[in-house]
Amino acid sequence: MSGQPLLTARGAGRRFGQTVALEPVELALLPGDGVALAGPNGAGKSTLIALLAGALQPSEGRVERRKGVRVGWAPQRPAQYGRLSARENLELFAKLEGEADPEEAAARLLADFDLPGAPKPSANLSVGNRQRLNLAIAFLGAPEVLLLDEPTAALDPEQRLQLWERVDALRDAGGAVLFASQHLEEIERHADRVVALRDGRLVFSGTVGEYDRAETDNLLA
Amino acid sequence: MTRAWLLVRKDALVLRRSPLLFGILLAYPVAIALLVGLVAGYSNSKPRVALVDEDNLPATVVVGGKRFHVDRTIKEVSRNVKLVRLSPEEAQHQLRNGRVVAVVTVPPGFIATLEGMVKSPKLEVQLSHGTISSRVDQQVQALVYSLNRQLQRAYIDTNLGYVTLILNGGKGTFLGSPIDVIGLNRSEQLLRRMPQTHDVRVLEDFIHDARLALANTGGALKATAHPIQIAHTGARGRSSALSAEVQANAIALTITFLALVFAAGSLAAERDENVIGRLVRGLVGLGQLVWAKIALAAALALVLGLAIAVAFGVIIDVGRVEGGEPWERMPLLVLGLLLAGGALGALGALLGALAREARSASLVAVLVVLPIVFLGLIPAAVVPPAGWASTVLPFTHAVSFFRSALFDLNPWAQVARQAAWLLALGGIFGGLACLGARRLLV
Repeated sequence: MSGQPLLTARGAGRRFGQTVALEPVELALLPGDGVALAGPNGAGKSTLIALLAGALQPSEGRVERRKGVRVGWAPQRPAQYGRLSARENLELFAKLEGEADPEEAAARLLADFDLPGAPKPSANLSVGNRQRLNLAIAFLGAPEVLLLDEPTAALDPEQRLQLWERVDALRDAGGAVLFASQHLEEIERHADRVVALRDGRLVFSGTVGEYDRAETDNLLA
Repeated sequence: MTRAWLLVRKDALVLRRSPLLFGILLAYPVAIALLVGLVAGYSNSKPRVALVDEDNLPATVVVGGKRFHVDRTIKEVSRNVKLVRLSPEEAQHQLRNGRVVAVVTVPPGFIATLEGMVKSPKLEVQLSHGTISSRVDQQVQALVYSLNRQLQRAYIDTNLGYVTLILNGGKGTFLGSPIDVIGLNRSEQLLRRMPQTHDVRVLEDFIHDARLALANTGGALKATAHPIQIAHTGARGRSSALSAEVQANAIALTITFLALVFAAGSLAAERDENVIGRLVRGLVGLGQLVWAKIALAAALALVLGLAIAVAFGVIIDVGRVEGGEPWERMPLLVLGLLLAGGALGALGALLGALAREARSASLVAVLVVLPIVFLGLIPAAVVPPAGWASTVLPFTHAVSFFRSALFDLNPWAQVARQAAWLLALGGIFGGLACLGARRLLV
């Protein structure tokens, strides 16, 4: 875990009117990083991930992306066109991401994520399939950084395993991942560092072991 | 292929996948256009006018020796109003509650005065209050005008009878009393038999001049009755249903509904599907997203507007109706449809950005369409504030563009003016929609 950060939040915070969703946060994702984002519901995890992804603009501070770095993002609620099939969604976003061969990329991800290739509107897919499509779209455009918001919430054990294999492969290739999760086991297995948020404030940043101890000592409450 | 174009194609595909929604989007504005047409037709229907007979009108009346069947005559002259016979009390009641728009009263002695032919009998007219009273007044005046035309010939014939009596002499009646007139011809004969003194020759000259003058009385009387006559030379123009006004309004109304609702709903739907965040993080800017919606709204307006124009053109060709340039001006209409569709799409996108949710946006767009259309339909000369308001909305400019493009002999100045308005409004609404679209990210 060395080299220039791939993605950095420099005092990035977000307000919605008078409501502070996220107070200024400092965070850097380095090559090979696996960072877990922990915290209860409403802590600001999705806001921080959206800021890092560029889906939201920070009200204060900024988010810096190393030149040429591509970021894949899977929001907590699937983001895809319900009237398009899984293949059509993948092909459309592949074109938008600038994939050289969108049809090939879509076919590959359909197979990798075990998605149905039938021309069935994605709104009619099962919850698990919709989440897999949501994740597959995040892998379009050969991203170096993955931002995954509760990625395994609707996946069965085998699908979780396949997802983490892909994530680990990306990290091994010099990429980084930041994922939000409520599962300690998942955090322990797939993260090197943990960043914890509560009520929109960053309350912890450290190794998984330190986070374990802090949780045990109830320091984050 | 630009990224915005990819979104246009995506929206077109989504529309194709939603045949019910697409059908409603197409059929609803056409239905509204038809209903507005029906309402416009209804506004031209016959107003109900009460006829109060206080003179006990007989079945027939003889005026100047000509017999009139009262009911038949009333039917003939009341083509623009629906006359209903009512008692004076009922007529007043219905005038107050608006069931009749006017009361025409035939006062006692009307027929006697009419038959006397010495002075004009009077009909009493009461009008309802309100904006249509002037129109009702015109129609009642038209009714009396028609009645007068029926009576004019009898009056002229009677007056000419008196002229003939003065010319030729003989027996007749005046104000019901028998008269015996020597006449100018017999007077002249008598004078010729008299000694030709200076006075006699003066009288003979006067009689000669009077006979010449009276010989032209018939024509003069008719000319007095009709100083200006209308010569109907045959109907050559379009029927009102196919008029320039109807065609321009039908196209504008239809594309207004389609473009507004589509642009508003589809922009807000990007947020509903949670896709907007994915798009704006470097894939597609908010501006590109808004312009993609505007572009498809313009394309839809083009397709539907052309379909309506072609339908009108076919009907006009099949019916061999003259007037307008149904085919030659299609290219100009294409430009107008694109500009109007774009301006309306921009307004729709602004509504979608403000409403944020597809359902709310569609509802708001539907609620906004009709006021926009009605503001544009109200003549600015009648209600100036409506004219001012509609000036800053695309509908009025679209109607003017289409009307001029399809029907004016020299449309260029008007088309250029309206195109500039539509471009400016499209730019303003589009810019505001781009700013407002930030709300979709929240």
